[in-house]
Amino acid sequence: MNIFFAFLLVVFLAFSGYHLSFRKFGIPLFARTFYLTGLEFLFLGLLLGPQFLNILDLETCGALAPVSALLLGWIGMLFGFQFEFSILRRFPRVYFLAGLLESLLTLVVVFGGIYFTLPFILKISGHMRIVISMVLACAAACTAQTGLAMFSASKIGKNQSIIKILRYLSSIDGLVAMLAMLPVFVFFPHRTDTAVSRFLFGYDIFIAIIIFAALLILYNLFLIYRREQSELALIIIGMVVFISGFSSVMNFSPLISNFFMGVCLVNLTSEKEKIFTTLVSIEKPVYLLLLVFLGSAWYIVNFWVIAIAAGYFALRFAGKMIGGFSISLMSPKMKEYPPVIGLGLIGQGGLPLAILYDFQQGFASNVSDMVVGIALISIIYSDVMSPMLVGRLLKKGE
Amino acid sequence: MPQAIAKKDHLLSYLLIIVFMGLLGLWIKGIDIETGRQQAGVIIFSLGFVMLSAYVLAQIVRFFNLPMLTGYIFAGIIAGPYISGFLTIEMVDRLRLIDDLALSFIALMAGGELRLSLIAQRGKSILLSIIFVTGLVIGLVVFCIVLMGHYFSVTSGFDFISLVVFAILIGVICVARSPSSAIAVIKECEAKGPFTGMILAVTIVTDVLIIIVFTIAISLSKILMKGGSVIQLTEISGLMFEILASLIVGVILGQIISFYVDRVRQDFLLFLLFVAFAVARLSIGFNHLMEVQYHISLHLEPLLICMSAGFYVQNFSRFGTYFHDSLEKMSLPIYALFFSIAGASLNFDSLILCWPLAIIIVVARMVGLFGGSWLAGAISHDPPKFNRNAWMTYVTQAGVSIGLAQIAARQFPEIGIHLNTVVLAIIAINQIIGPITFKLALNNVGESGCY
Repeated sequence: MNIFFAFLLVVFLAFSGYHLSFRKFGIPLFARTFYLTGLEFLFLGLLLGPQFLNILDLETCGALAPVSALLLGWIGMLFGFQFEFSILRRFPRVYFLAGLLESLLTLVVVFGGIYFTLPFILKISGHMRIVISMVLACAAACTAQTGLAMFSASKIGKNQSIIKILRYLSSIDGLVAMLAMLPVFVFFPHRTDTAVSRFLFGYDIFIAIIIFAALLILYNLFLIYRREQSELALIIIGMVVFISGFSSVMNFSPLISNFFMGVCLVNLTSEKEKIFTTLVSIEKPVYLLLLVFLGSAWYIVNFWVIAIAAGYFALRFAGKMIGGFSISLMSPKMKEYPPVIGLGLIGQGGLPLAILYDFQQGFASNVSDMVVGIALISIIYSDVMSPMLVGRLLKKGE
Repeated sequence: MPQAIAKKDHLLSYLLIIVFMGLLGLWIKGIDIETGRQQAGVIIFSLGFVMLSAYVLAQIVRFFNLPMLTGYIFAGIIAGPYISGFLTIEMVDRLRLIDDLALSFIALMAGGELRLSLIAQRGKSILLSIIFVTGLVIGLVVFCIVLMGHYFSVTSGFDFISLVVFAILIGVICVARSPSSAIAVIKECEAKGPFTGMILAVTIVTDVLIIIVFTIAISLSKILMKGGSVIQLTEISGLMFEILASLIVGVILGQIISFYVDRVRQDFLLFLLFVAFAVARLSIGFNHLMEVQYHISLHLEPLLICMSAGFYVQNFSRFGTYFHDSLEKMSLPIYALFFSIAGASLNFDSLILCWPLAIIIVVARMVGLFGGSWLAGAISHDPPKFNRNAWMTYVTQAGVSIGLAQIAARQFPEIGIHLNTVVLAIIAINQIIGPITFKLALNNVGESGCY
């Protein structure tokens, strides 16, 4: 079975390489989403991982821990850079609230659905029941608009207003996911009840704020004087790794801590354009590498995983539809958009991948691997179906 | 590479950064590490710490007109096991894969810097320099050790034959250089010109040839130590085959890189990262497979593969400039990472143990380097300033020397520990002095962009 599957993977990856090298080579419509979102790198990781070639074995992955910390931190910081208040204020406030509401409703629907079903199927109990439900809900809350690249300029031109709101919602809704991920790390399995109660008394929050302030000052000390692009790259890489390491030692998330650092930097430092250019310059390689890492730890246990993933996808779909419907009722301005706007919010993109990887690193266990496997399959469902659903939405809008 | 001379008022901010980072580091060190995630976190944190402190120290040493490379190495030394203990020996070991990846990148850069036209132009000078420097360095080091060996505690217990073998092996290892250090200083100084091209070619070619010379030395030493009559030609031909195989794999890799740039081009840095990883991992895997499955000792050298791949792309494809510029973008973080880890890996226990002998060998080596390069330059009618300064660029020493010392130690356990200790001590000195003299030479010759 393994050999057969490995053979299929090699054929698929050879096909991908051939497609990349010889652009005139046509591919079916559904497969284009694959290449657009880079999902084939997930399969590359799977092939390189312990299940097949074992090149990325556990020891190697351990040795590459600084690289994975860099990836998570980089994505977190990049996402944080989307929250420049002066730019956000240029859009109507109702858009911002709509983004939060849509995301929050999805989160609630998926959390509820998962909390009352998955733990019974996978026999999860205790803190992990909340943690896993919340992680899957957070991953579900995020949206990306990679599917839009599949549509012609004329199609997009006819639906400017819908496209604009979809893009805005997609850039905002990850905020809810990030904030909801915060308490997840309080339930870290190695923390004792005393630690949880200390958190409730605010001790950990106090320490975290002090450290965060110190790190922010340190960052700004590096940025006091103008730096060349190559120096800035070194400083950003160094700081992201530094903060990620700090977070891991504190049993916290590198993704979230770098996200908050990104939010602070984009609003406080004058070097923000240069930093953003540096962050964006390797954004795609970072995502693709993340896919490889996730793929290498991807355990496709049995057919049931695929079925459970379908269930998770259905829950998310319901959440997005409910969220979309609700925001269309928010204000007269939002009533301009079709109530089925949720159809345009199915694509998941890169942030959920980072959330899942962060969870897998922080809560390493067989159950975590299985949950991440389920979520990855669901992301594939979402990203493959998303262009078709967006197409339907745009048709309704015309 | 940044070239603006750092302003004095920046110094305060750098000192403040060091204080801040030091405090954060101390705080992290005080935390009880209980979980695997926390352990990994400490290593990640330490890596970030070392990279940032390497950058800061590199900026500080520029006030003294020293190369940034010296700052990176000092950062590693300070953070390493012998001074602050922030990076332990185990941590440095766990960072080995990252270190190998960085080295593969540097080897690609080094290969990409070698221009065929320049080698052809100064071929005679390069060849003579390699021959004279190799001969003189080995000769002088052997002479000094044999002459004075009995006065030092490390070698005083050796019989005459052991001392001679020890001297020959150390002498050959002293010929090895550090192409990675050379390329880092050249890049930092934005050095260009015939002198730069020549010294880089000599450094890289010597690093390849030294493996052959070393094998001959091992065979000779075996004859001296264990008796025998002829040098094992099978070993030497096997080695030649290994080098040839590595070069061929490198050329194939160069073709693949060129094909990728031609047809795909997007995400090139990611592709190079895959290449570096694949070369580092597959070489080890291949070597292991050949030994275990087929009982054939065929070792592919990752460094040589990457160098020849870079050389191929630069000289035999249309994409040399694109390749060079893409690598250049990531060069600063890679240098800071690689050389700070190299600094943390320097063995000061060895230096403390045998510093008088190490100093004598370092001096003898320098005299050999000077004599050899001066003689080669004079015969080739190179400009006198080239002849006076070339030796200073050959002082740096790093990984290859350690590798050779470890092989020699395995072959001759009787003198192995002492040999390793002395080599590590010599490297510690040369790696600190080397980048400084390198930069000085580039400045003296007038090919450096940073005065």
